[in-house]
Amino acid sequence: MSGAAVRRVNLEALVEAQGATRAAPPLLLSADAYFDLAGEEFGSRLLLTTDTTGAEHCLRPDFTLPIVQAYIADGVGRPAAFSYLGPIFRQRETGAAEFDQAGIELLAQPDGEVALDQVLTFARAAVSIYGITPQVRLGGVGLFEALLVQADMPDAWRPRIRNRFGHTEALQRLLARLEAAPDLPRAAQPDRDELLEDVTAQMVSSGLSLNQGRGPAEIVDRYLEQQALDAAHVPPATLALLRDYLAISGPALQALTRIEALAERHRLMLGAPIRAIRRHLNALGESPVSFDAAFSPRLDYYTGIVFEMTGPRGDVLASGGQYDRLLERLGATAPIAASGCSVWVDRLEAEVRS
Amino acid sequence: MSTPSLTLAVPSKGRLEELTREWFAANGLTITRPGGARSYLGAIEGVPEVTVRFFPASEIARELIRGAIDLGVTGLDLIHETSETGPAAVETLKPLGFGGADVVVAVPEAWIDVTHMHDLADVASDFRSRHGRWMRIATKYITITRQHFAAAGIAEYRTVESLGATEAAPASGVADIVVDITTTGSTLAANGLRVLEDGVMLESQACLFAARRSDSSAEKRALLAGFLGRLGLAPTA
Repeated sequence: MSGAAVRRVNLEALVEAQGATRAAPPLLLSADAYFDLAGEEFGSRLLLTTDTTGAEHCLRPDFTLPIVQAYIADGVGRPAAFSYLGPIFRQRETGAAEFDQAGIELLAQPDGEVALDQVLTFARAAVSIYGITPQVRLGGVGLFEALLVQADMPDAWRPRIRNRFGHTEALQRLLARLEAAPDLPRAAQPDRDELLEDVTAQMVSSGLSLNQGRGPAEIVDRYLEQQALDAAHVPPATLALLRDYLAISGPALQALTRIEALAERHRLMLGAPIRAIRRHLNALGESPVSFDAAFSPRLDYYTGIVFEMTGPRGDVLASGGQYDRLLERLGATAPIAASGCSVWVDRLEAEVRS
Repeated sequence: MSTPSLTLAVPSKGRLEELTREWFAANGLTITRPGGARSYLGAIEGVPEVTVRFFPASEIARELIRGAIDLGVTGLDLIHETSETGPAAVETLKPLGFGGADVVVAVPEAWIDVTHMHDLADVASDFRSRHGRWMRIATKYITITRQHFAAAGIAEYRTVESLGATEAAPASGVADIVVDITTTGSTLAANGLRVLEDGVMLESQACLFAARRSDSSAEKRALLAGFLGRLGLAPTA
């Protein structure tokens, strides 16, 4: 057998050895769920086709969504584990649109941290089949959320900051805007009822429905909130905290120590999420591990800890983490612990060849 | 083909065709259309090495990006919209000073709380939890919208493709806001829509473009340089 064939057999064996149900979702899936979950940005990478009724379908662009959908349809609650290895389809700038991914999904496990350890161990093992010692990059979504809850600021700013986490430029722009907030004396707040009347009249005259989409009350309340926010500044010490925190990036232990020092200076209780990250370092063996405080996928269903593993060529070879909000987003009625990862088989093979 | 030649595509109808022919005439080149308005083939008087083709502007953008034609006059917006890689696949030889229009983000006038893209980011982020669906944007500029919204950090929306009367989409309930092309903003304003203060995504106008092709022969490059020389232009690549 050639080297590539041996590696493939070993990867296949690793996927089978996870004590999980081997998942093989259909190749042709409804595109709607992907647009709903991941938005237009991911949507632009789908390979789409339309049936005779005009409904859009896509060639399977990942395994996680159909696996989780099928799990929810079966009735949630039981712990379940799935593994997969097979082709997915995405428009890419370089490389074929069809390529293989392997991965695992651990759902409703009794201990989310143990589950994440299994995910990390799986990713590490898959990469090592290809003889690569990856650079591991960890991000703390749970850690940032814990910091944000405790940081001193008007409540309405918290979701605005959280929503930009993971998009460095957007977050920096918001912080710059908050730092530059002018300290002008504010005109008296306009009267809410008058505003409601104005907005309602405007909507009616433009032919807008008052009860589909944004209604007058939502608009006026956000307007008043915005006025109040412009007046309610985020304290400079909090802005400095956020900037200092987001700039922390480096070898994991050092970075976590710096975060502890920062937390102590600002009297924040971040012990639990920091300990959670520390505990997982063991599962990563000898790989160099960095922690990047600003690192997060842009999808808001990620929670807890996220990671990616890169090879010498700089490509992401494996990525994943904890996403306890995913199942709720897909229709489950309560949050359900979930973690998993996917491994880019073609990139691993490319590392071996280079 | 034994003798190399150049293909120049120009808009096949309307005001854009007239203005394009006027621009070439002002530069001493007369485009002829021997078969009249129903013919798709033309020529330039005294320049036999150039074949003129009359195409719809959107096809010119596509053919330029594919490299199927050498030169073309079309809107910058169409180059950006046809493919994410469009701007990299062509060279802008000359903005022609007509066909100017902006691709803009506009929201209902009644959205008094939304004046900038960052407001839109906030509205989009909790739209789904408030209304059980994503914020919808009507546009024919799907590619441009995706790129600019990604740059603004807005991911939580859906586009609704709209091939005409985009400005009516909010009133008809098809979408919440629009990304549309406008010269003066008056059509948008007449429909109760307001362009965001930082809502201009692309300032477009008609331009003369060349396809960037790595495989063209030395003779062809010489032909191109000669033709552009007549227009007082030089290829940069």
